[in-house]
Amino acid sequence: MPMITKNIALILLFFISGNVVAVQGYVTITEPWIRSAPPNAPMLGAFMNLKNNSDKEIKLVKVHAEGFKRIEMHRTINSEGMMMMVKQEYIPIPAHELVELKPGSWHIMMINPDSVPIEGSSVMINLLFDDGSTQMVHAAVKSSKMMMHNHDTMQMNKQ
Amino acid sequence: MSKKIIILIIAIVAIAFSVYYFKFIDKNYQDIAKNLKVSHLIYNPDKILSSFSLIDHNGNNFNNESLKGEWTLLVFIYTHCPDVCPTELMNISLVNSKIRKNNPSLVPNVVAITFDPLRDTPEVLKTFVTHYDADFVGVSGDQNQIDQLVKDFGAYYERVVNGENGVVIVQNYEPLPSGALENGYLINHTAWIYLINPDGQIYAGFPTPHKPNDMAEDIKILIDSY
Repeated sequence: MPMITKNIALILLFFISGNVVAVQGYVTITEPWIRSAPPNAPMLGAFMNLKNNSDKEIKLVKVHAEGFKRIEMHRTINSEGMMMMVKQEYIPIPAHELVELKPGSWHIMMINPDSVPIEGSSVMINLLFDDGSTQMVHAAVKSSKMMMHNHDTMQMNKQ
Repeated sequence: MSKKIIILIIAIVAIAFSVYYFKFIDKNYQDIAKNLKVSHLIYNPDKILSSFSLIDHNGNNFNNESLKGEWTLLVFIYTHCPDVCPTELMNISLVNSKIRKNNPSLVPNVVAITFDPLRDTPEVLKTFVTHYDADFVGVSGDQNQIDQLVKDFGAYYERVVNGENGVVIVQNYEPLPSGALENGYLINHTAWIYLINPDGQIYAGFPTPHKPNDMAEDIKILIDSY
């Protein structure tokens, strides 16, 4: 298929489907989720798995989503018992490795939401990588990664 | 009986009592500690909390007496915390669910005291903490009194304030720089969960990372053996 036809097809697909569309890029994003929070929470945490399928390190350099004052990348660090939230200019994903954004670790901080999304809804998040690629994902809002609604099920899993 | 014999008897009784106290009473705590999975037994019967008078999220006075009569899980949080504090509150909710399932009479009260009363008013705390469990109680009030309690618990926090040229670390005893509220600030902090006994004293502590199942089992041991 000629390049131009392929590009037109991609653009049409983008507008028609509104779903996850990767524009170039070697990063596979899986299990994007946002932790459900109280209705007055000023901060939300977004988490996901970022798999770098290339031979070179790729950095996540910017994150965007509608309806938030600001979005930053942070890393929770336990420094001799002190829990610190350290702002990151980027999140590095080493070649052929998977970086897990999760509570207590790397995460995307979504600051001052217009309204806190409720459990069961989803939020569209755009990610920009330093190789110029962008990806859009739908992050599901849930109370934990394992999508527990009752505590019994949580206890079935080993800690 | 001669004086000497009386003195001898008193001495023997005193020695026997000391041996009993230091060997057997102390051994009791050692026995308890042996069975604990994740708790730190930090109980000191001579230590009482500083006198405090704060306000809970229903607008009621919250003071030293409020921690007496029942067991309490106590944690320091702040609502602008994106990661650690929500995890702690969720884990405490899981702990209580587990205890409630097996030993409903042992479920402790839960109190979350804010590091950040400037932004975390009682009203803000009520909406926030009850999201995790309707029975949780948020506590706000005078910063100085909260800071004294933080000290009593061996906890620690510092503010990370957004500035023009990046962030500035502000110690908890330093005043907030102007513009901090508008520009926003995070708080670095210790993240222990504490178990308070019915006499209102710090009894045990659980450092992060918290394991709800293990904590629930430990709490049962701690309460049963008190």
